[in-house]
Parts: sequence; structure tokens; C-alpha cells
Amino acid sequence: MPVIELTNVSKSYNRGKVKAVDGLTLTVKPGEIFGFLGPNGAGKTTTIKMLVGLLRPDAGRIVVEGFDVAKDPLKAKQVTTYVPDYPAVYERLTGLEYLNFIGDVYGVPKAERIERIGKWLEIFELAPVVTNPIQSYSHGMKQKIVLTAALLPGPRVMVLDEPLVGLDPRAAHQLKEMFREHCDQGKTLFFSTHIMEVAEKLCDRIGIIHKGRLVACGTMDELKALDRTEQSLEGIFLELTDK
Amino acid sequence: MTNVGGNGGSRGGGGLGRLGRLATVIRAGLRSNFGLATLKHRLFKEKKDRWLVPLIGLAALGVLPTLYGIVLLIENAYLLLKPMGQERALLTLGLLAGQLLILLFGIYYIISAFYFSRDLEMLIPLPLRPSEVMISKFAVIMINEYLTVAAVVLPVVITFGIMARGGVGFWVNTALVYAALPIIPLAVVSVLVVAMMRFINVSRKKDILILVGSIVLITASLFLQVGLGRSRGPQANPEAIAAFFTSPDSLLNQVGSKFPPSIWATKAVAGGFSGEGLANLALLVGVSLAFFAGIVVMSEKLFYRGLVGLGETTGKKRRLTRDEMSRRVSSGRRAVAAIFAREWRIMNRTPIFLLNGVLVVVIVPVLFIVTARPGSSPWGAAIPKIIAAADPLPLILAAALIMTVCGSLNGTSSSTFSREGAQFWISRVIPVAPREQAAAKFLHSYLIAMLGVVTASVVAAIVLHLKAVHLAAAAGLALVAGVLLTAVGMIIDLARPLLDWTNPQKAIKQNLNVLLAMLADVGILTAAFFGVRALIRAKLAANAVLSVLFVGLAALAAASYRILLKFADKRYPEIET
Repeated sequence: MPVIELTNVSKSYNRGKVKAVDGLTLTVKPGEIFGFLGPNGAGKTTTIKMLVGLLRPDAGRIVVEGFDVAKDPLKAKQVTTYVPDYPAVYERLTGLEYLNFIGDVYGVPKAERIERIGKWLEIFELAPVVTNPIQSYSHGMKQKIVLTAALLPGPRVMVLDEPLVGLDPRAAHQLKEMFREHCDQGKTLFFSTHIMEVAEKLCDRIGIIHKGRLVACGTMDELKALDRTEQSLEGIFLELTDK
Repeated sequence: MTNVGGNGGSRGGGGLGRLGRLATVIRAGLRSNFGLATLKHRLFKEKKDRWLVPLIGLAALGVLPTLYGIVLLIENAYLLLKPMGQERALLTLGLLAGQLLILLFGIYYIISAFYFSRDLEMLIPLPLRPSEVMISKFAVIMINEYLTVAAVVLPVVITFGIMARGGVGFWVNTALVYAALPIIPLAVVSVLVVAMMRFINVSRKKDILILVGSIVLITASLFLQVGLGRSRGPQANPEAIAAFFTSPDSLLNQVGSKFPPSIWATKAVAGGFSGEGLANLALLVGVSLAFFAGIVVMSEKLFYRGLVGLGETTGKKRRLTRDEMSRRVSSGRRAVAAIFAREWRIMNRTPIFLLNGVLVVVIVPVLFIVTARPGSSPWGAAIPKIIAAADPLPLILAAALIMTVCGSLNGTSSSTFSREGAQFWISRVIPVAPREQAAAKFLHSYLIAMLGVVTASVVAAIVLHLKAVHLAAAAGLALVAGVLLTAVGMIIDLARPLLDWTNPQKAIKQNLNVLLAMLADVGILTAAFFGVRALIRAKLAANAVLSVLFVGLAALAAASYRILLKFADKRYPEIET
């Protein structure tokens, strides 16, 4: 059974004048890293926001772990965490207060909190600043605290919008390792990116969205088979979105 | 990057090019601050928020009875002062009150707009002079001030104009004086703030600076108010009183003596196109322009220097030990408690929110003590005598009203959702039901209302010398009314939360929801007043009146709380971020 299921999902802005997502259907299986690619304004962020319940689709259905996001939002949210493209977090809280807040609202037991917070703070090198206000963090550090918060509940599904932007090479490397580790435990990861190399190397399957429509979806081999030229993902991407 | 203005963005440029560039920066500042483009887009393109237009109209209608009462008061004062030749003191009082208000609000506006608005990060790298950036900020503050003082100045000036049958000169000069009114007080505040920012290293202390600066100014304006209150009357001997009242405009000069621009403004308005009117107008406009030119010159030298490093905050690096970490990692609070703690921390750690929420409920009652204490004003001395002889029912009602106003008429509840701003996405993705989130926010807003009721109770005990039982009755009424007003404020904010702010001041001080909620509160209190008046006229006993009022308010409070929770469940999923 798919973990994420989008069926004929559409979303438009300006009273229907701007169609951001148009009849999108896709599924993501358990243990899969799914990369979501597309040019600027293609509908990636809109899709992701609908997936986590920040936007309501005009039509279609989104199901996460068997829970309809529109009808059963709390159950869907309980198994999902989200990292937005811009780390807007409570600047007046300290890093630890923010993590405690997330732990409280997701109901993470204390022992697991200590273990996960300790682990990710060390990996992201945030341990020395965790008692400082988030206001004093750099952009990259804010991105890391949001990532730590998203990892804290040990979610079945993680949805990330451009998670590698703003991270230093070491943190980016560790995050990619975490992606693999997360999915090896049978959990699922859905993320958007503009970095073709990352998508090519890391993702089990890739979806390419263009002008609100899914123009290609499959494993790297399946995408290459589409035009039989054995191109790189970048070549395939440019060809599919050059219309 | 787009060049601003017509001369390719060169720092010097020709006079016309510079003016064009300045106009562009001011226009951009106004559009961004008041969200005109967003409003236009929402009203005409997305066709959202159209319900706001009739609602604002309705709210304005709701204020009419209060406005009518104020106009009647001004008319009576005019008729009383006219035979003594002192009627122009009314104008001075109105204009001076307006200027004091500008001074008071100016400190928030100036510190916040000059130094802590995030658009400075975009403006500073542009090829603009510091003075051009400063003037664009100043223009935004001026417009805010016009709106802020309209409620104080316009009823006085317009009523005066109608009573005195002011001609064209009166009305033309009124417009010009109104336009010039904020310049001098704002310039004074600007000089203080810009100089302070330049010469004190505040890069790590900006929050404390806003707090201390605001408290210092509030204290200063309190002393000014008390000083003016003391200067309101002549010396208490018959000859002095006679001399005072037989000399025309002696009261005007007395009231305005602490701040001469209010005298010039009065004489400019009342004198119209006469020699006296034009001369005073020229004096007011001339001095205002001189002050303005002064801050333009000063901003060229000092404005940017005070900004360097302001956006940076630092903290000491310290790794927690295993034990410390274990202690500080929460063992699991309920979601409502976690959200309450978040609200509490963010409110108390954001100076603008703290000043307008927690501190205002403490400051307003204290202000009341200062102005009402015997000796500070003529009515202060009379209060204990009036109260000793009075019927307890009106006293209890008046005390309940003061407590309600002190506790609930602040922007805490009506900005509770708006204050989340760009972070609202977190509330949308966490697995906590909207009604639980609303309940936590309600608890926080209500706690602050309770703090106001407690402070006001202490004040009522000291100033009004109320008996304990009367005080308890008043506090009971205020606490129930507080539930209703808190829920109404939250419902109004939830209907249309202002989330796209870049400067926290916009979330609470320049938030239309706060104004709408205050109007709604005034409407509810007015309705309660008429209800109580009807009960008293129906010859109900005092206890019966209080019981009916309490039960009525309690029923409305329970209903409004239930509506709030239901509305949260409906509204949260609709708010797209």
C-alpha cells in the first residue's frame, strides 16, 4: 500500500486564473526516497504544502499512511513532519525550547527526546548554541534546527522543500546519509530539490513536474528509458521542461 | 536590481531626479507599510475580504454614540468658556493632547521603523542617501500619526469650527495645522532616538533599548501630563481668579505654556486668514520645516552609523552536560500547556508585544492613580468625598468598567493569531486540533486580562476607597466580561489574521483587528450600559441589577467561548500560508 497517494489533485490561485497544480496523480511507497523536481513556479511547493495540509486542494484527494489529509488531518499530521523552504521559526525561543515544544505537541517520550535531540544536535553542530535564542542563529543554523525538529518525532513520513539549500557541505552530506538511514527503516521521504546530482544519486524514484503537471515519474532507469538516449538527469530534466 | 528614481541611482543626482527618487521611495514605503497593493489585490483581484468594508462601516456606526457624547461635552465646554473669552483654550487642549499622543506613540513608531523594520536590509544596499531612507520612514510614521490623533484632535477642532462659525480661513488653516501637527514632536523624538542609537552601543541590547526607551518616554509624558494638569487653573485667591478669567486667552496661554507650538496652532486655526492667524500659521509651519530640515541633516551624518551591527545578535556558546540536558528536556507537557508556554514566552520576549500587552494592563491603572490622586487635578481631591456619599451600585458598575477596560482593552487577544506571523505554518502542521490551540491562546490572553483586573482592583481600592464586598462584586463582573471580550477579540483576529508582517509592531499596533476588536468592545460595553440603565429605571434592587448583569454576561461569555472553539476548527484549515 502506498504511503503517500495523490489522486487528481489540482490547485489554482486568483480564482482559478493561475493553475499551479493540474490533475496531479502520484504515489510513494514505504521506504522510498522520492525526489520532486521542476523548474521555478512549476508547482512543487504548492504540491508539498497541500501534502502537509498548509493548502487545500481545489480538487482531488491526498492520503498519507491511509489518512485522508482533508478528512483526518490530525492523524495525517501525527505521522508527518515538514521542513519548509525558508526556516521561519520562533526567533524568541531558544533552540531547546523550540525542540521541547515540538516534542510536546507530537507527544515524544522523554527518553527518545534526549536520545534524538543529542544525536542531531551533535551531527548538525548545534549543541553549543542550543540554549541561545534562535534569533542569534545564522540562516544555515535555523535550517538545521528545523531539520532537527522534523526528525525529533521519528516520523513515518518526512516532507522537505529544498532541504539542502543553506546547508554547509558537511551538514548536507550528513543530511543525505540521514535520508538513506531514515528510509532503510521502512520510513518515507518526499523532498523537492533543484540539485540534479543529489536527486540522481539519492532518490529511489523521481517525479518531474512542469506547469502543474507531472511530466515524468519513475526510477532513474525508467526516466532514462523515456527517450533512450541514456542522458543524465539534467539532460532529461531540460528536455522535459523545455516546452 | 531596479534603480530607484530617474537619474540612474547616482548618489548626488540633479534636484528633480533626487525628488523623483525620494517620491518613489516614499511611495514604496507607504505601499509596503499599509499593504495597499496587497489590499487592492485581495479586494479586486482575489475578491477576498470584501466583507470587511461593511463591517468597518458598521463598526464606525457603533462608535457614533460615544462620539456624540464627546461632541456634546465639547459643546458644553465651549458654551461655558465662551462668555469668559476662554473658548480658544479648548482648541489648545485638543491640539496639545494630540501632540502629546504623537510624542507617546512616536517613540514606538520611530525606534521600530528607523531601526528594527526588516525592509532596511533591502533599502540600505540601494543607491539611496540615508536621509532619503529616513524621510520615507518618517512619511509612513506621519500617516500613522494622522490616523492615531484624528480621534482626539478632529472632534475638538470640528466642533469648535461649527460652534464658532469658522469661515474658509478657519478650515484651510485647520487642514494646514493638522498636516504640520506631528512634525515637531516627531522630530524631537527622532533626534533623541537617532542620537541615542549613534552614541550608545546597542547592538546586543536592542530589546532592552525599546523597553527602557518606551518606559522613559511614558514616564516623561506622565510627568508632562501632571505638570499640565497643575497648570490648568489660576492661583486659588479671588483676585488672581478674577484677573485670570478677565484676560482673554489666559487659559490658552496657561495650558499651552509648556509647549508653545500648541499655542501657535490654536491661534493659526482660530485666527483664520486674519493677521494673527496667518502669522501663527507661518510660525508653526516655519518651525516645523526647520525641525524637519534639522533631522534630515542629522540623519545624513548619524542614521546609518547607528544601524551598523544592529541586526546581529549573539549568544555565548556553551555545551550542556548530559545532566543539564536531561533536566532541560521536557518530560512531556500536554499540547495546550506547550502552546500556552510558547505564547507566554514569545509575548514576553518581544518588546513591542510586551509593552502593548502585559505592560499596558499595568501602566493604564497606574496612569489612573497618577492623574486621579488628590492634588494632581481638581477632580482627584473630590473623589473620596463623592464616593463616601454615593449609592454603591453606580460605584460597583464604574469600578467594574474600569477593571474591564484595564484588563481587556489591549491588543493581546485581538492580535493573538496575527502575532504568529510567518511562523503560523508551524501551528498548521502540528498534530494539535485548532480548538485546543485556540483554548491555549485564550488562556494566555485571559491571564493578561486577569492581571489587568487585579491591578485595576488595587487602584480602585486605593483611589476609590471601595469596600471589599463592592470591590469583589466589581471584580466578578470584570472577570466574566473579560471572558466575553477576550473571545470576541480572538474571533475577530481569527477571521482575518495579519500574518505577512515584517515588523512586529504591525502585528499589534497597526493591526486593523485590534482596532475592530476595540470598537466591538466599546459596542458591547455600551449595550451593557443601556441594559443596566433599563434595569435601574425598572426600579430593580441593586443586587438584582448586579445579578442580572452577571448572569447575562456569563451566558454571553460561555457562548462566545464555544463559538471561538468552533470557529477555530473551521477557520484554521482555510488560512493558507
